[in-house]
Amino acid sequence: MAKRTEKRKYHGAPTALVIGGGIAGMQASLDIADKGFRVILVESEPTIGGHMAQLDKTFPTLDCSSCILTPKMVEVGNHPNIELLTYSEVIDIQEKAGGFRTTIRKKPRYIDVKKCNACNLCAEACVQRERIPNEFDMGIGKRSAAYIPFPQAVPQKYVIDPNHCLMLTRGKCGKEPKCQKACGANAIDFTQQEETITVRVGAIVVATGYDQFDSELKPEFGYGRYENVLSGIEFERLCSASGPTQGKIQINGKEPKRVVFVQCVGSRDKTVGNEYCSRVCCMYTAKQAHLVRERIPDAKITVCYMDIRAFGKGYEEFYERVQRENIHFRRGNPSEIYERGLSLVVRGEDTLLGEPYEEEADLVVLATGLVPRKGAGNIGKLLGLSQTPDGFFQEARTEETIATSRAGIFLAGCCQGPKDIPDTVAQASGAASLACVQLAKGRS
Amino acid sequence: MKIGVYICHCGINIADHVDVEAVRCFAENHPHVAIARDYTYLCSDPGQDLIINDIEKYQLNRIVVAACSPTMHEGTFRKTISKPGLNPYFLEIANIREQCSWVHADRARATEKAKDLVLSAIAKAVLLEPLEETEVPVTQSSLVIGGGIAGLQSALDIADSGFKAFLVEKDPSIGGHMAQLNKTYPNMEIVDDLIVQKMRRAEENPNIELLTYAEIVAVDGFVGNFSVTVRKKPRYVDPSKCTNCGECEEICPIRVPNEFNMGLDHRPAIYLPFSQAIPSSYVIDPNTCQYLAKGECGRCIEACPSAAIDFTQEEEERTVEVGSIVVATGFEPFDAGLKPEFGYSRYERVITGLELERLLSPLGPTGGNFPTHWGEPESIVFIQCVGSRDKTVGNEYCSRVCCMYTAKQAGLLKERFPRARITVCYIDIRAFGKGYEEFYEKVQKAGVIYRKGIPSEIYKRGEKLIVKAEDSLLGEVYEEEADLVVLATGLIPSREADKVRDLFKLNRSPDHFFMEAHPKLRPLDTAIEGVYLSGTCQGPKDITDTVTHAHGTASRATIPLFKGKVMIEPITASIDAEICSGCGLCEGVCEYQALKKDDYRGHMTVNAALCKGCGACHSVCPVKAITVKQFKPKQVIVQVEMMA
Repeated sequence: MAKRTEKRKYHGAPTALVIGGGIAGMQASLDIADKGFRVILVESEPTIGGHMAQLDKTFPTLDCSSCILTPKMVEVGNHPNIELLTYSEVIDIQEKAGGFRTTIRKKPRYIDVKKCNACNLCAEACVQRERIPNEFDMGIGKRSAAYIPFPQAVPQKYVIDPNHCLMLTRGKCGKEPKCQKACGANAIDFTQQEETITVRVGAIVVATGYDQFDSELKPEFGYGRYENVLSGIEFERLCSASGPTQGKIQINGKEPKRVVFVQCVGSRDKTVGNEYCSRVCCMYTAKQAHLVRERIPDAKITVCYMDIRAFGKGYEEFYERVQRENIHFRRGNPSEIYERGLSLVVRGEDTLLGEPYEEEADLVVLATGLVPRKGAGNIGKLLGLSQTPDGFFQEARTEETIATSRAGIFLAGCCQGPKDIPDTVAQASGAASLACVQLAKGRS
Repeated sequence: MKIGVYICHCGINIADHVDVEAVRCFAENHPHVAIARDYTYLCSDPGQDLIINDIEKYQLNRIVVAACSPTMHEGTFRKTISKPGLNPYFLEIANIREQCSWVHADRARATEKAKDLVLSAIAKAVLLEPLEETEVPVTQSSLVIGGGIAGLQSALDIADSGFKAFLVEKDPSIGGHMAQLNKTYPNMEIVDDLIVQKMRRAEENPNIELLTYAEIVAVDGFVGNFSVTVRKKPRYVDPSKCTNCGECEEICPIRVPNEFNMGLDHRPAIYLPFSQAIPSSYVIDPNTCQYLAKGECGRCIEACPSAAIDFTQEEEERTVEVGSIVVATGFEPFDAGLKPEFGYSRYERVITGLELERLLSPLGPTGGNFPTHWGEPESIVFIQCVGSRDKTVGNEYCSRVCCMYTAKQAGLLKERFPRARITVCYIDIRAFGKGYEEFYEKVQKAGVIYRKGIPSEIYKRGEKLIVKAEDSLLGEVYEEEADLVVLATGLIPSREADKVRDLFKLNRSPDHFFMEAHPKLRPLDTAIEGVYLSGTCQGPKDITDTVTHAHGTASRATIPLFKGKVMIEPITASIDAEICSGCGLCEGVCEYQALKKDDYRGHMTVNAALCKGCGACHSVCPVKAITVKQFKPKQVIVQVEMMA
């Protein structure tokens, strides 16, 4: 069957392309769209929201992350000037007379989005139900092959996972696919094909974000070997009321009483090739330590660190507060973590006391750093962007973090380097400013 | 009355904890309810279509949606019901998610509570009145307060977007603190090249009007329509005639400490703020000029070959009309004198970071060299966190730049004096920006010694300074002899910020910097619509983060300008002129300056564009002359009664 291709032209309002639908891409899109320009927002996942949607609370005010994020997601989804292309990726970009001709591939959802009313019956009927690790919950929870990434997803549309759906992998699912039978809206369509959309845009905002550092690259910490050694985002899901444990901090149904946090995992560490600081881990660890104290008041909590980098507004004050909550900050990162009986043992040198320590733990949380998103290199090649030695996209100059070496292409958020939410939002608005300068030029 | 009631399952979010079918049946039996339905996701397109079709089919005239918080979807459903022609304010939301299903575990009791919430919403829906948004045109220009790098960058972006920007700077030249710096970290670029280029671009941009040596004295109006009065101080030199020949400077008999060089040298009363100042013109300091003080002297008038000096100049006031305002009042360095234990101002060779910048600058008072009588230093000590992370001086916050500027300065001095012992005393090294950790590594490798622990005091022994401290890694007390001590002074809000705060009634966070509208998602906005924050006035940041912030602020500030209009929400206070006695109590509690007395008629009036409908005025009004639309006493009381 021939793939559907479509060429779109927008008459009147100039258009910007935003690549990435995390908080950076969302903020940039909203600012551009609010000024009356058109935006095409391309997101590779089936929903916008990015990593921020996975977080439980935000530092230092302890605002619930999804409570402040989801209204913004809805605003993006409803904005008359934003065309949302989720589950899509940019596959080609050509520079054309003061703008770019971009080609976007829209992956098939196998769900007719016009009909789907997000009733969840397909997910309940799916034979793969509760069998596929749920990426949104970092694999801690399970999902069906027909699923919605999380309840507040935008768009509110299900998607069928082509790697796990039996119909799509084997061409057969029992006598007939149960999801299709269950769907009252008749929205399931296994004949859907990939679509290609070509569109001309006047400016591009790159907001491809970050990935969490892979903790298995630090084998001495036993991540992947011990089930009670978790990464930063895994712990966020464990804390989240909408997460797989409904916010109960439990490992195999047991509440940990001794919790150790290890900072700078994959950051400031030449042995894994990441010399840079990831800028957020000190503070998210302080927040997570606070959440443990709040939910397990009698827990023994230790944070192992090199330097505490509480540099943002209200951060030092928050760090102070957490220290007063009987959380022990120990200077000196562990050298190894191993199992002794039923406990983990965290071993290191306390550089303030000048002596080695061994600390028993029921749960170890690794403050995993931020690395450039997988696939960012490909986008970089398409756009002709170079990378700094840390692998993040290269900005025009040190103090100009938004512009790139290419006119009309701008950076927003963690694709340029690790940063926390307010710094990301500020930079995203900045990218919108420069993109609109470009679009306004084209208009006059 | 024909009310449609819609109960959302929100997937399982509501349906798992509330029996939505029971709530639906309950609502259906209400005499005013024409139709009641439940649906998995009302906010989805099919959900909204359901409401639209019902409005047409059943001629519904009020809608109740029982779902999530109105902050999520009130806007969505207002749009939905206005499609078939219903007034968008004929909508009442019953929050049965955040205020019910999410917080209650007992399904039966949660269901009862959801019924009460729906009943109360129905009761209010009966009393809803139609309201209309009003549209106000926008003046398509912007005002930027502060001509440092933040203000410059915001003004440049606004101007490049095609709008007029007025840039107001209190000093005689734009450039701010950045113009005083020597090199940037981590790339060691010459700061002058960067800042002067931006200053020139601002000067040459036809959309930017520079108002230097000026300050804001009054502000009136609201988003889209501000009217700002700017007072321009007299320079007593005509910039259009001044050629910067410097004749006046030579002849002036006065010498006072030069602010730009941190008082390290002196300047006359007639002076050029710094060599690349913009506007490129001399200015006369009214506080020290003898002619202005006593009418004596006037030698500069004779010396000036281009007759640029004009002592008859007077203060000028002008009013500019703008649609949005960017506040970029910046910072000033912490006064190191407040930490007497470090001996600043007692010992010549205890200096601040900014003073060292001037000493290192080739354009500085010493041409980039240390004073000759200092000789070649054998030992230099840097002390971090002076005035930061320090509750004893009331500054608990981190100043975000000192770790890195110290690393830069220590690196530069190590290059210049390779044999000198250079020590940095620190608490934590905060090298968090792009390339910063790498730079910190490089400086350590160059031989700069980092010692954890801030000194407790500095005193003199013979010719040498003695820095006394505890090395918290070694766990021992040490004394270090030093020929020079550099204090990494932190950042505090500019004094100018006080005036701006009073004029705009801006909020401050506990660290005294201006408070943004939301610490996570609205770091550039303020509580006042149309007023935005740029750069260090919101909190310390380095040049890179400031420039980024400033670009972002420009985006926020140009949104109303691009739109060309602002919509005024109709849920505002309104005053019953018959009852109001004009006592003015409400004016005192209004955070938004929305209330003013009409002196002629003797009662208060509400500026709907400024009013946020918070209701504070209503609660203080002794005669209850003020009500908030959609929250009138009868509308609220009926809701309360239904919950009882």
